[in-house]
Amino acid sequence: MKVLIVEDEARLGIFLRQALSEHAHTANWVQTCAEAANALVETKYDLVVLDLNLPDGDGLDLVREWRASGFTEPVLILSARDSLEDRIKGLDVGADDYLPKPFSVEELLAKMRALLRRQSVVKQSLLERNGIRLDLLGHTVHVNDGAIDLTGREYALLEIFMQNGGRVLTRTLISEKIWSSHYDVDTNLLDVYMSRLRAKMEGALGRPVFKTVRGIGYQML
Amino acid sequence: MTMMRSIGVRLTFWYALASTVTLAILFLVGYQLLESRLTHGLDQLNEAEFRQLKAHLGPDYKTLNSKIMDDRLRDVSESGSVLFYISIEIPNSDVRFNSRNLKGRHIPDVKGKRAYSATMPGAGEVRADEFLLPPFDVAIATSSRSIRDGMREYTDVCLALLAAMLVVSLAIGLGLSRLILRPVRLIRETANRIGSDNLSERIPVSDVSDEISDLARLLNQTFDRLESAFDQVRRFSDEASHELKTPLSLIRLHAEKMLRDGDLSPVQIEAVVVQIEELARLNQIIDELLFLSRAEAKAIGLKLAYDDPGKFLDVFAQDAVALAEHSGRRFTYSHAGCDEVAFEEKWIRQVLLNVVTNAINASPRAGRIVMTSTLGAGLWRVSIEDEGPGLTGDQRERIFERFVRFGAPSSSDRGSGLGLTISRSIIQLHGGRIFAEAGTEGCGLRVTFEIPARTRPGRRRAPLRQSRAA
Repeated sequence: MKVLIVEDEARLGIFLRQALSEHAHTANWVQTCAEAANALVETKYDLVVLDLNLPDGDGLDLVREWRASGFTEPVLILSARDSLEDRIKGLDVGADDYLPKPFSVEELLAKMRALLRRQSVVKQSLLERNGIRLDLLGHTVHVNDGAIDLTGREYALLEIFMQNGGRVLTRTLISEKIWSSHYDVDTNLLDVYMSRLRAKMEGALGRPVFKTVRGIGYQML
Repeated sequence: MTMMRSIGVRLTFWYALASTVTLAILFLVGYQLLESRLTHGLDQLNEAEFRQLKAHLGPDYKTLNSKIMDDRLRDVSESGSVLFYISIEIPNSDVRFNSRNLKGRHIPDVKGKRAYSATMPGAGEVRADEFLLPPFDVAIATSSRSIRDGMREYTDVCLALLAAMLVVSLAIGLGLSRLILRPVRLIRETANRIGSDNLSERIPVSDVSDEISDLARLLNQTFDRLESAFDQVRRFSDEASHELKTPLSLIRLHAEKMLRDGDLSPVQIEAVVVQIEELARLNQIIDELLFLSRAEAKAIGLKLAYDDPGKFLDVFAQDAVALAEHSGRRFTYSHAGCDEVAFEEKWIRQVLLNVVTNAINASPRAGRIVMTSTLGAGLWRVSIEDEGPGLTGDQRERIFERFVRFGAPSSSDRGSGLGLTISRSIIQLHGGRIFAEAGTEGCGLRVTFEIPARTRPGRRRAPLRQSRAA
């Protein structure tokens, strides 16, 4: 996948370019609005990662121009501005998602995957992994053909992990999905629900299902 | 005297008092002058009568006895008896003449005075004058009732005028104070309107330089300074978040890369993980400080929607029960009343989560955290009470200040010391208040917030709803 990174801070831009390359993406990095506009004219990109505070303008204006000129590929905004109004403004002008700084590479990759999936594949209604079967339509979970009773929150948690395979999911990402707010990160509410879900799943499967990645989040085995 | 707190009322009052009192003093002086003038008139009348008597007595008056005197004077005194009481006598002898209307009474004598007012039995007040006609003592008195009556009428008219003056001066004073205070009212209205959203508005200042326009100019200068301070805060929020968060991203990304790339000893891994955890904490503190600076600059817009908070509380209670059970505490919750409150769920949830987390941390094992929500009489009130050691009155006052923490911090405490400060900001943005009290039985702490509700008549109260942790 070909990704354009628009970020004025050189060290961050270089780091992102390298990190995306390591994850089998082709990444190009530019520093200004003008360069970004040129890059899009020259080459076709699958996705744009865009910082808002650019030396020669606001990233939001750039998105507005692109959308007006018929550019339809997903745009992921990367910004230090983390208020709800800023997010809504970003989505209103046509950006597809928003990742607040500081972020983790895992979060960036997860958001990028989600954006590309949204574009291509029809959503599956049945998710299966290592003997766990999750029915998105019926909201039911089966382990080795036996049904497991999960509360709403536990089901939502499990669904996020099933959607993302064996990837590490950050606390911020999980909280945002479940509570549509990352302020819950400040409490240990997520850990509480994780420990409940873990107890139920591991009790049914008889083996470890989740791994805690300290400082970052959780991973489904 | 709350009325007197208004300058307009005070001005009116003093104006009316001053003008009425001035008029009253003038009337009083007028009274004195008029009375002495009228009295002087009576004295002159008496004197004229005396001259007439003297003429009737004739030049040989010194030799007359009572009988002849009576003959000579009777006519004069009879004709003047409507007006005058007359008494003529030679002291220490029986030669005397008394006008008939005296009827055996005497004209009162005031020693040492030639003209005086006195009261005569049966005749009321009289004005008496003594004249010298040696060897006779002549006293002529006239009833002064006419003066009394005149003065009484004068007083009545004066009182009526004073009352009218009071009313008129109140009206004039009120009008005057309105006129004088109009620029002040204009200043107040404009200053009231100026908030974070229209800090650039200024009080209109007239070209004339007087005390009030000077005040307006001074206020406008203050608003200038305020505006630039607010702008700085707003810009600081944006700049600080950008300047701080980009390096934070880099530190975090590099730390995670170190973990992923391997080749680290367990001790090094632990050190890097601690770094990442502290970075998250630092990021949280930055976010919270930025939130507070924006909230104080009123740069945060709430998306308030009218809703019944009952459903929202049910959802929150699930999370609270989970949190409490996880650390071996119990959480109970009750909600009563049905109404609509303007609030934004996300923010109120953050307040509740914050207060409940504090309560759980403060509670002893198996302790109970009680959340009571009542809705009614135009108010939504939520109290959260724990069974912990509680706080002293002084500590309860300070608990909402920045970075203030009491009690030993536990290892599970991720708090920055800003949670309650933010909670207070959020509740204030909702137009409510939050405060801490001692628990019901003297132990523990109860944190309560109140948000105004919209009372809609004609809606039935929902029955008490109760959900309980196992």
